[in-house]
Amino acid sequence: MSPAAEELVRVDQLTKSFGSTRAVRGASFGIAAGEIHALCGHNGAGKSTVVKMLSGQETPDSGAIRIGGGVLDLRSRQVAQRSGIALVDQELSVVPSLTVAENLMLGDQRARWLNRRRASGPRLRSLLDNVGLGHVDLDQPLSELGIGERQLIEIARALGQDARLLILDEPTATLSDVESEYVYAAVRAVAAAGCAILFVSHRLGEVLGLCDRVTVMRDGAVVATTEVADLTIDSLIVQMLGEAPHRSRKRTGGEAGKSGEVLSVGGLSVPGRVEDFSLGLRPGRVYALAGQLGSGASDVLRATAGLVPAAAGDIRVDGVVVRPGHPIAAARAGIAFVSNDRKSEGLFLDKPISWNLLATRLPSVTRWAVLDRQRWSAVLTDLVGLCGLDGGRTGDSVRSLSGGNQQKVFVGRGLGRSDARVLLLDDPTRGVDVGGRAAIHRLLRDAADRGMAVLFSSTDLEELLDLADVVVTMHKGVVVQRHDGDVAGSVLLREMTHGAAAPAEERR
Amino acid sequence: MNVMSARPRSAAPIRRPGLVVDGVLLLAVLAAIVLALTTDRFLTVANAKAILTSASLVGIAALGLTLITIGGSAVSLAISPSVAAVGMIFLSAQSLGLIAALVLAVLCGTLITGLQGAVVGYAAANPVVLTIAASFAITGIATGVSGGSTVSPTAGGYDRLNATPGGVALSVYVLIGLALIVEWTLRRTGFGRSLYLIGENRRAARAAGLPVGRMTAVAWLGAGALFAVTAAFTAAFNTSANVNLGGTLTFDAIAAVLAGGTPISGGRGSALRTLAGAVLIAAASDILLLRGYSTGVQIMVKGVIVLVVVVTVHLRTRGSRA
Amino acid sequence: MRARRPEASLPVAALAVTVIAFVLVPTYTGSALTSFDVYNMFQILARLGLLTLALGLTMIAGEFDLSVVGTYAVGGMLTVQAGQQHWAWGLLAALGAGAAIGLLQGGLIARLKIPSMPVTLATYIALLGLTSALSGGLTKTYSNATVTLWVDQSLLTYFSPRSLITLGLFVVAAVVLSLSRWGRELRAIGGDRRAARVAGVGVDRLIVGTFVASGVLSALGGSLLSFSLGSANPDPGVQPLIVAAAAALLGGVSLAGGRGHPLGLLAGSLAVALLAEIVAVAAVPQYVSQLFFAGLLGIIVVIDAPDLHSALVRLRTRLRSSHHPRTSIQESADV
Repeated sequence: MSPAAEELVRVDQLTKSFGSTRAVRGASFGIAAGEIHALCGHNGAGKSTVVKMLSGQETPDSGAIRIGGGVLDLRSRQVAQRSGIALVDQELSVVPSLTVAENLMLGDQRARWLNRRRASGPRLRSLLDNVGLGHVDLDQPLSELGIGERQLIEIARALGQDARLLILDEPTATLSDVESEYVYAAVRAVAAAGCAILFVSHRLGEVLGLCDRVTVMRDGAVVATTEVADLTIDSLIVQMLGEAPHRSRKRTGGEAGKSGEVLSVGGLSVPGRVEDFSLGLRPGRVYALAGQLGSGASDVLRATAGLVPAAAGDIRVDGVVVRPGHPIAAARAGIAFVSNDRKSEGLFLDKPISWNLLATRLPSVTRWAVLDRQRWSAVLTDLVGLCGLDGGRTGDSVRSLSGGNQQKVFVGRGLGRSDARVLLLDDPTRGVDVGGRAAIHRLLRDAADRGMAVLFSSTDLEELLDLADVVVTMHKGVVVQRHDGDVAGSVLLREMTHGAAAPAEERR
Repeated sequence: MNVMSARPRSAAPIRRPGLVVDGVLLLAVLAAIVLALTTDRFLTVANAKAILTSASLVGIAALGLTLITIGGSAVSLAISPSVAAVGMIFLSAQSLGLIAALVLAVLCGTLITGLQGAVVGYAAANPVVLTIAASFAITGIATGVSGGSTVSPTAGGYDRLNATPGGVALSVYVLIGLALIVEWTLRRTGFGRSLYLIGENRRAARAAGLPVGRMTAVAWLGAGALFAVTAAFTAAFNTSANVNLGGTLTFDAIAAVLAGGTPISGGRGSALRTLAGAVLIAAASDILLLRGYSTGVQIMVKGVIVLVVVVTVHLRTRGSRA
Repeated sequence: MRARRPEASLPVAALAVTVIAFVLVPTYTGSALTSFDVYNMFQILARLGLLTLALGLTMIAGEFDLSVVGTYAVGGMLTVQAGQQHWAWGLLAALGAGAAIGLLQGGLIARLKIPSMPVTLATYIALLGLTSALSGGLTKTYSNATVTLWVDQSLLTYFSPRSLITLGLFVVAAVVLSLSRWGRELRAIGGDRRAARVAGVGVDRLIVGTFVASGVLSALGGSLLSFSLGSANPDPGVQPLIVAAAAALLGGVSLAGGRGHPLGLLAGSLAVALLAEIVAVAAVPQYVSQLFFAGLLGIIVVIDAPDLHSALVRLRTRLRSSHHPRTSIQESADV
């Protein structure tokens, strides 16, 4: 195979900066017609920015995008659509208030002025069948479907556009294995018809199984483009990380049995998400819930923090019952929660760092409801030191910070409360660079050493193995296994992706 | 027409919108000052008093609305009916004495608006729809109870609100005093700080365990009290009250808040800004009046001022985020 | 498990209730309904229908055009002032002004991504001022009596040209939005603007188009009213806006955007018109209909309130789990 000869899509020296950060510097690669081309890289490697430029959501500062030889000026999504570029965005991009059929037709540039829902019925039907949605009615409102089904509908929409280039940005992140298999088959069929496919994924097994070539990015630049036959998971990881991933393993916390449980969760259920979850947390230890998206790990944390109205179960802090579904009650009981969505459910981005750090501590820095400057600055100084932030910048807005520092502020807000007994963190290092990650890990360990119980969810093996004293794996809403001692990463991965050694698939 | 393609692409011009906006703003302010200084009788004490007096009633109501807006509940469209209803209560309670009537008026105003606030705060109801419903309800009940007639004062105590100590209307002192109190509350109390946080991001505030419902309700309670003060002064000034007492107050108050630069999306703004907005609109109308323009032109300029401030504030905050 | 959301059934229910009430009016007044009552009801519809349609379209797109009443006033005034020679000039001036206002507002809102409520509030105030400045604050009379007679003449017993034009525009809007891609794209940008953009919908163009449509429709509403009254009033007050908003909400659109259909808006407007006619025929005090509106809107807003919804879920969960032996310990149920 001589890819250069039959390349349909060519990306040349693409560069894009946001302010002072150079997100992409001179990325070049090509995709042949009929090729499934993977784009891999760690968080912040620049994959998303490349995808945004290819799909017309960002304009490159310099460089060229060619399809079929001609240079394209992709000023907007519509121009990109018209040039034959279909996209499955990283974020779910279907509209719940429309029906399934309307979503499938949305933005399709070939659709004429006239709405031909009837005429296109059979075509839409076969699109749904291709992704395994045979049971879904075309005129059903999308809001009645689950997240996985919505994702499949977005994929079906892109598949049906007869594009020259199809971009799939982490299409299977929220899908089950069965659903993913449908997607793989459909993608292969589209590729066989001569479409070029750019497949962005974190799942390396999927990349090696599905794709023809892999382009790896690191720090905004392309490291290499390699035939998949020449790659193994380990060599791919080496390309992505730049060096063999080293592992530091020091466990300080956890003289188990020293004291009673701080948090006990019993029989926690969230309809459709979590079934009968129970766990006891002792102070001074770090616990982890290991589970992929949709495993229920995130729902356990949210329900414990009182953010899921439909949650039922027995939640106690130091033996005192906390009413489920009331975030204020949870906070008062000493549960601090760090959401995985710090922008919309965490920080107050336009407010100063100081306001954010002390947002949950207002009662303790006021006297007769009036802010007490001395207490305010004393508490603030403590917190800033604790989080390792720059003390001179506490008046700056949180928006001006990097992702890692924003996350430090978010975690620090939970730590700073002297009455906080339990710290819950939902995927605490998402979108955080390596340095920030280490700092956050240190913060969590410190918190445990000072007597808090820490529970976080993650899918990252390194993080699970390095940080947690106890790892509980979850799959499809139920606990698979609790690991108190050492455990191999491969075991965790197996349990997270396949559940217990059970029949391959339960019925959905 | 692809409107996005016209935006500059390189990194350098990111700061430019802010500068352009600043420049335009500076020019506008200069022009306004020149215009003001060249207007006969603008720079007289009597005229300053007139401006402040005309700003005072709208200003007090706008202070109340500022609490609502900062707290993230956008606007209340039920200000005029609340003021009318409370004004009627105030005048018909004059036989109890001025102080008792005032207390009663503030209690009723607090209750009327506070109820709406409780629904907005605890149920997260849409404030615009809710206050449209409330305006129907308040007007309906007020009409039903009063039989649609005009209420006359039952005693003369109200007239003390029309006093002009030092030659300036009492309402001006009250406006300035209340503006300072509201500003202090917003800046220096835990309530004020939570209100800014809730207004910027309600979901985050909820997840952080802040008492979102209670703080929102308290903000609306405060707003209700301020509307009631407006109502008392308006009713006293008109010496009678019916369901139309509020007039165009709802939109005048919103205009004052927006002209002060408080964005409707919440989380930012201040009482002093609202005060400035009310005075700005009053001063602009005054200049036009002195120069002999009609009421229509005055109203039009008010709209244009609001539009310019809204766009400017939006561009500046967006510029600072880029 | 969850029932269908009420947005589709709301307009039907509102219309059904008011129709039944209308039919039952004779049992209250003792005198039979006449065809004139129906004619009158459609005249009321003609007065508020186009405003409702204009406001409703922007609400479907997730915006809120407060300026419709301002455009309505300007349109009415221009019709009178520019149309003294020939009605067509007045109409043209009104529609042109409506389109220009819509273009300006839509352009600002789409290009600067600014929330529409403060912008349209400012234009509303400015337009009221403009109308007042145009007329010197006075009500202007329209001398062309033939047009006045023509727009309100009785057609097919129940209708007038004015009410037929209004009904016709509802039908046109319904047909266009049902048969073209604009319908789904309008609801898409109202429902989830980011998703619509990513899917390739021309969001900005659609917003501008919606505001132009809104401007033209409101201006036309003002024109027709001026023709009918034979005069133009510089200040229509806030009432038309509030009533139009109520009609649109009854018609199944939401302030959050993304749902609604012109036929629903028509049903909502008809319900409001029927109610106004009932009030007139039965000589019910005005405040009763106001309380009725308050109740209806109160129900709408409470049904839509997200935190109330989660409180109900919480309550249901708790009731269910209290039968469950594992979670026997319950706190006292204070809230």
